[in-house]
Amino acid sequence: MRATTHKSIRDLLRQRAQVVAVGITIMLGVTLYVGSASAFQNLTVSYAYTYDRLSLADLTSTGGDGDAIAAAALAAGAEEAIARIQVDPPVLIDDTKLVGRVVGLPTNAHPTVNDVEVLTGSYFDPGATGQVLLERHAAETFGLGVGDTVEVFAGGSWHSLTVQGTVGSAEYVWPSRSRQEILADSRSFAILYVPEEAAEDWLGAPNQSAVLLPADASPALEDQVTRAMRAAGAVDVTTQEDQPSNAALHEDLKGFDEISVTLPLLFLSAASVAAYVMLSRRILQERPVIGTLMASGARRGRILRHYLAQGIAIGLIGSVVGTVAGGFLNGAITRAYTSAIGIPDTLVSNHPSILITGMSFGFVVGALGALAPALKASRTAPAEAMRSSSPLHGPGPWGRLVARLGRLPVTTRMALRDIGRSRRRTIATMIGTTLSLIIVLASVGLMTSMTKMLDVQFAEVQREDATVMVDATQSGFPQSLDDLADVTAVEPIVAGPVTAIANGRSYVTSVTGFDLGTAMHGFRTSGGRPIDLPADGVLAGVETASLLDVETGDTIVLATASGEISVTLAGFVDEPFGTLVYGSRSLIAPVLPDTGVDTYLVSFADGVDRDALRQTITQMPGIVSYADSQALVASATAYLGLFWAFVGVFIVLGVILAFALVYVTMAVSVVERTNELATLRAAGVPTRRVAWTIATENLAATALGLPFGLVLGVITAAALNSSFSSDLFRLDLVLGWWPLPAAALGVLVAAALSQWPAARAVRRIDVARIVRERAI
Amino acid sequence: MSTTTTAVAQRGISLKGLTKTFGQGSAAVEALKGVDLDIEPGELVVILGPSGSGKTTLINIIGGIESASSGEVTVAGENLGGRNPADLSGFRRDHVGFVFQFFNLIPTLTARENVEVIVELTGKGDKAAIPGLLDEVGLSDRGENFPSQLSGGEQQRVSLARALATAPDILLADEPTGALDLATGRQILQLLQRLNKEGRTIVIVTHNASIAQIANRVVTVVDGRIDSVKRNAKPADAAKVMW
Repeated sequence: MRATTHKSIRDLLRQRAQVVAVGITIMLGVTLYVGSASAFQNLTVSYAYTYDRLSLADLTSTGGDGDAIAAAALAAGAEEAIARIQVDPPVLIDDTKLVGRVVGLPTNAHPTVNDVEVLTGSYFDPGATGQVLLERHAAETFGLGVGDTVEVFAGGSWHSLTVQGTVGSAEYVWPSRSRQEILADSRSFAILYVPEEAAEDWLGAPNQSAVLLPADASPALEDQVTRAMRAAGAVDVTTQEDQPSNAALHEDLKGFDEISVTLPLLFLSAASVAAYVMLSRRILQERPVIGTLMASGARRGRILRHYLAQGIAIGLIGSVVGTVAGGFLNGAITRAYTSAIGIPDTLVSNHPSILITGMSFGFVVGALGALAPALKASRTAPAEAMRSSSPLHGPGPWGRLVARLGRLPVTTRMALRDIGRSRRRTIATMIGTTLSLIIVLASVGLMTSMTKMLDVQFAEVQREDATVMVDATQSGFPQSLDDLADVTAVEPIVAGPVTAIANGRSYVTSVTGFDLGTAMHGFRTSGGRPIDLPADGVLAGVETASLLDVETGDTIVLATASGEISVTLAGFVDEPFGTLVYGSRSLIAPVLPDTGVDTYLVSFADGVDRDALRQTITQMPGIVSYADSQALVASATAYLGLFWAFVGVFIVLGVILAFALVYVTMAVSVVERTNELATLRAAGVPTRRVAWTIATENLAATALGLPFGLVLGVITAAALNSSFSSDLFRLDLVLGWWPLPAAALGVLVAAALSQWPAARAVRRIDVARIVRERAI
Repeated sequence: MSTTTTAVAQRGISLKGLTKTFGQGSAAVEALKGVDLDIEPGELVVILGPSGSGKTTLINIIGGIESASSGEVTVAGENLGGRNPADLSGFRRDHVGFVFQFFNLIPTLTARENVEVIVELTGKGDKAAIPGLLDEVGLSDRGENFPSQLSGGEQQRVSLARALATAPDILLADEPTGALDLATGRQILQLLQRLNKEGRTIVIVTHNASIAQIANRVVTVVDGRIDSVKRNAKPADAAKVMW
């Protein structure tokens, strides 16, 4: 082995604590990259496999004659096309009345598009009419299996169906009712596959067509088929990308995609800075040696490579361990995610390109960190370097300024001046602080915003406690609801799916008609200012402006299965969930089809026993469905619990990052100043006072990084939230007052903790050895 | 016990059978091999020896920054045997001032602050006395200058003022002129000589035989042992020393 290789190994071993800190930071960056990027790839592939296996429609039309539209699609080049009925009628499961979804399926064979996978039991018997296939989420929620019965309310009466099997579906991997209702309370939404003949008997003709395009379909073919479907009467055509379940999962995947880039980038940047600081210190310490080597004729390139190799070695060690750990993390993340979401197919593999990229990250980070110090070493002037003491540098303007602060204790002045003494070290500490705050604030911001989003949606916007549907033929409503002791208000509404059309664009959404002056729904502008529901005209979600290219005062068309109306867009509302349309009940009711049920929003007295009231209401004659708004809040909050766990991990990672980088700079600070510190120790200054002096300096540099970290953290958090916003839900950054001081305090605590090993180093300074080594 | 021995034990330095070994087994190096030495209060002693003779180890043990392997060390009335690092730190704080070959000044502090920081961190000494100390070392008009703005001799004078800041009984100087030219080296020696005349005990370690001329006694150390002890009947004036 070459002598320089021996030297490199021994150098790294001598600085093993700092090498380990830098190596761990690189390892974490690479682990996070390999783990999250691979998981992203695996989940994408798993979804694609499921979609392909179960023939998820590439295009789905609503409105018009389903059969005619399917025929038009086939004629335009579609590979497969089916017509089917899909309606959301009241459903009775056990004693729970809810608004379900009934989808018609052929009984003689599986559908060629939007197939289902039988999980238990079997597919329909040919020609069956009284059977139902229960989608797995509903089966799990209500504990139903083969032989159990459910009832569907249609045509003014309840129809009993026997469960023939439970099924999984690519359409409902994530059980969303629509893009406007991405989150659904599992006890308020159930998907039932019913023999198509029975469904059409009860609910009408096919109102959907689902189309598969050839595997190699070009965008031009997709456009051609879409135009053909519209020409055949489709009110709207939804692509697979916009399909509610897929869109919801895609939003989630976006998170993985961004994390797989952002978080590793932060760690690897920090590692690069730490490697830079560490090697800069080594080169400073070895100046006389370098000078001697160069005076002896050593080539600059050789010196450059020697120090560059040390950075690369640390990087490669970190990246090898990180890649292996990332491979395991990938499997763990993918399986945990697919298991939590219930994705039918889980394909786990490590992707060579990601592994190679992860490995190369370590190489690049090590090389980048070492490049500047190595270049500096290779450009050392031998004569100057061989002088035993480093030249003293002047105090600079900052040092002179602090010198005027005569009233401060000298130790405080020393701490303040040291900020400018080693600018590289100070900047490195500040970078560590900044990167940590970015990680912490971005993740905390995501959660506080989500919490606020739920609060706005379910306290300011949706103010009702429950939505109750009543058989329209039943008399006595809504008075009988209003008469209940714990019910404080009841309001009728009309609601249903609608396609909003303007400027040649269309958007499938939901429309709700309220009484003017409704107390059940809060309408708010982008700034949160309340506005009134207009007597004529409609309000629409802010995303409508870009979706339909409209502005206040424009006319839009609202089309349903019953017809269409032109209305004036009276304004935009800013609501967290969905992009919906609102109008007065008198304006909206005429355009919605008669479903045979009346819908009421109900509010309760404070502190009411909600379960008891639910029982009371659902047992009233004529009640066909009941949805508790708070149940949705509870399920959303439970869902957020998983995210809080992620946020906890990210906060820990942020703290580790702060710890690692501040530790490296602190350790370097101690080593650079060993002689000064030894002199203080020789003068009888207690170790803890010496350690505290150094700690004050480092904490001052950390504190200096706080403003940058807080500002950049907030900007990053806003950008991250914005990237999650879409017409599905809006996620505006709401941090509140506590995350900023808490994050700043957390990073300061991490920095303070990182002083501990450095304080040990101060205690271990061998004053006698230093004196001996410096004596002639 | 004689009166002199009692005084040495109370305020001076007394070393008996002192040994120091670094390392263990076959790698063991005996730096000191049984040193007996008494230094009386108010003496200026130069410990002279070639490189590796053990002189720096000897001064380190006297100053309490290193412990002897065996033997008895009594400095300013305190037995340094068996003390832990915190105790030794307290001992140094109370009794000893160090001057090193390399000044080890804190570059971000002015000359005055380099002295003041010791008073602040040890809690010993008097900040109000610092201008007087700087004046004593001839730096009354350079107190607000940073180390980078001072010459080598001036920096060593700051380190001397720093060593005096806690009003030590004993001043230990390890090659105090080693990094200085003749003229500035002489200035430092003059200062040390003057401080000695004011009654302070001073021990200087050097390999420079010329410096021995200013001492009351010259202790020559060779290979870890005291080779000779010579008393100067009439110490030379530091201003006239040549090397």
